[in-house]
Amino acid sequence: MTTMQNMLKNPDANLVLALADDLLMLGHVQGDWTGLGPILEEDIASSSMAQDDLSHALVLYEHLGAHFGIDADVIAYERDIADYRCCDLVTLPDEFDWAVAFVRRWVISHWAAPVLDRLTKSDDQDLAERCLRLRAEQSLHLTYLDDWMHRLGSGPDEGRTRIQTALDTIAEHAGMVMEVPDRDLADIEAFCCGREELFNEWTTAMNVVLEHAGFTMTFPLPALDAFGGRRGTHAPHFHEQHAEMTEVRCADPGATW
Amino acid sequence: MSGAANPVMTIDPSEEDQDKLAEFESRIADGVLIEPGDWMPQAYRMGMLRMAEHHANSEIVGALPEGEWITRAPSLRRKLALTAKVQDEVGHGQMLYRVSQDLGKSREDMLRDLCTGKTKYHNCFNYPAPSWADIAMVQWLIDGAAIMNQKTLADGAYGPYVRTMHRINMEEAFHFKSGEDMVLTLMSGTKKQKAMTQEAFDRWWGPSVMFFGPHDKPNCENLPPMKWRMKTESNDSLRQRFVNRFAPAALDLGLVIHVCQKDEHGMVTSKTVDEQCRLDETTGNWGVTDPDWDEFFRVIRGNGPCNAHRVALRRFSYEQGAWVRRAIAGGATTLPPAA
Repeated sequence: MTTMQNMLKNPDANLVLALADDLLMLGHVQGDWTGLGPILEEDIASSSMAQDDLSHALVLYEHLGAHFGIDADVIAYERDIADYRCCDLVTLPDEFDWAVAFVRRWVISHWAAPVLDRLTKSDDQDLAERCLRLRAEQSLHLTYLDDWMHRLGSGPDEGRTRIQTALDTIAEHAGMVMEVPDRDLADIEAFCCGREELFNEWTTAMNVVLEHAGFTMTFPLPALDAFGGRRGTHAPHFHEQHAEMTEVRCADPGATW
Repeated sequence: MSGAANPVMTIDPSEEDQDKLAEFESRIADGVLIEPGDWMPQAYRMGMLRMAEHHANSEIVGALPEGEWITRAPSLRRKLALTAKVQDEVGHGQMLYRVSQDLGKSREDMLRDLCTGKTKYHNCFNYPAPSWADIAMVQWLIDGAAIMNQKTLADGAYGPYVRTMHRINMEEAFHFKSGEDMVLTLMSGTKKQKAMTQEAFDRWWGPSVMFFGPHDKPNCENLPPMKWRMKTESNDSLRQRFVNRFAPAALDLGLVIHVCQKDEHGMVTSKTVDEQCRLDETTGNWGVTDPDWDEFFRVIRGNGPCNAHRVALRRFSYEQGAWVRRAIAGGATTLPPAA
């Protein structure tokens, strides 16, 4: 069994990988907005968050890499598509609709916070310390994004309608953030605590903001056997994104870049 | 700088209050920085506005060719560095639009004029970047040229622009280091990487040499742009400094300096070794074949390989984001018909 397979077969590693892959792909799709945002100041802030997401993915890949003897870039770039554990939502194409991109990031940032909270209590001290740092930066994202949600909610109807439409679109995919990365994990209740407890904590935090801003979003917790990206069954758009992400690296395998 | 005639050269200073003009020129000669609230000739205000606006436009258009490679960067660290670099360019644009706003034009008007083709941006961003090595060349050659130019602009006389140049130059130094590291990595790499790098160098060497603009007018030191320290070094002097720095560096890396013919897409169709590119032991200067200035002016007039694409993308981004600006700040954000 290769070192990569060892990592992919390890249930704890899969939990970390799920978060790392979410942050990688979120940073990937949000980073693509750099230079194209609707307001220069927002463009700069959004790019900073994308860089944080990519850095956080790197920090988690380095943790896994140290345990399993794999280079972080190899984990990030050189797995088979079915071995990526990212959820369907992070790779959902935004079609250059800022409202969809904004809500996608807002939902994932709200999800990452309670997950990181749990990982900071991990018995693995290295992982706990890394996640403590990540949690502090994700808190800054939440402050910024919640403020934007409030501002958009108190703005004119045009913006409110666009955001509510985006929330409706995102709601169709948001539940699958809770998809369990590996069927066996159903037995150990994923993410170090009850799955329902995590779902309630995540959605309650979002609903507080949405209610204040005058928006709504509801979606159910999917069944344990629901499968999608976290189990490697990715939508066609992820295949395209992955091909683009690895285009240069694959053009000359083994080369140093 | 490139584009339409600079107002500083077309507005007649004799129409100004001559006492105030003399005091203004005396302050500049004494090295005093001019601040937004100070009296300044109309030609100076318009010239500085045009210069800062052009520079701001160049930053946010310059973000586009590199931005297209963020999703394809071949490692996490390169991806992070490139995203941060493109973000810096947007930040430079934001700072320079603020400088321009103080000179009397709203940001909305400036962005609208850019998107409709009324105002220009630096010519070099109208060339294609079809490979990862092109990104290395943009950061090494174009940012290298920008640093040389902007260091002299930081010795200018308009306070807000000078202070902005100091800050931008610090960040550009990181961009250059990143580009240098990318070029070194590629030229220490595989045959395929070296070939890709030579091809990218062939595409970017010409635009880099043209970066500083065409040959100067005679007596340029005594004309308003330099007399009023809007710029402090001639185009020819800057270009020579660039060639002296980068021609030997390129040769040391194993690159070959070519004179290239290109098609309408900016892709090289034929090339010959630049026989003029050698050190003159007497002057200490490196020679280089004079760039194709017809091409330079053709690109300025909007007929370069990527002019339409760059403006269209900026316009698309501006239009797509209009509702967000309305939601947050209100105000008119619609565009007139395309130029």
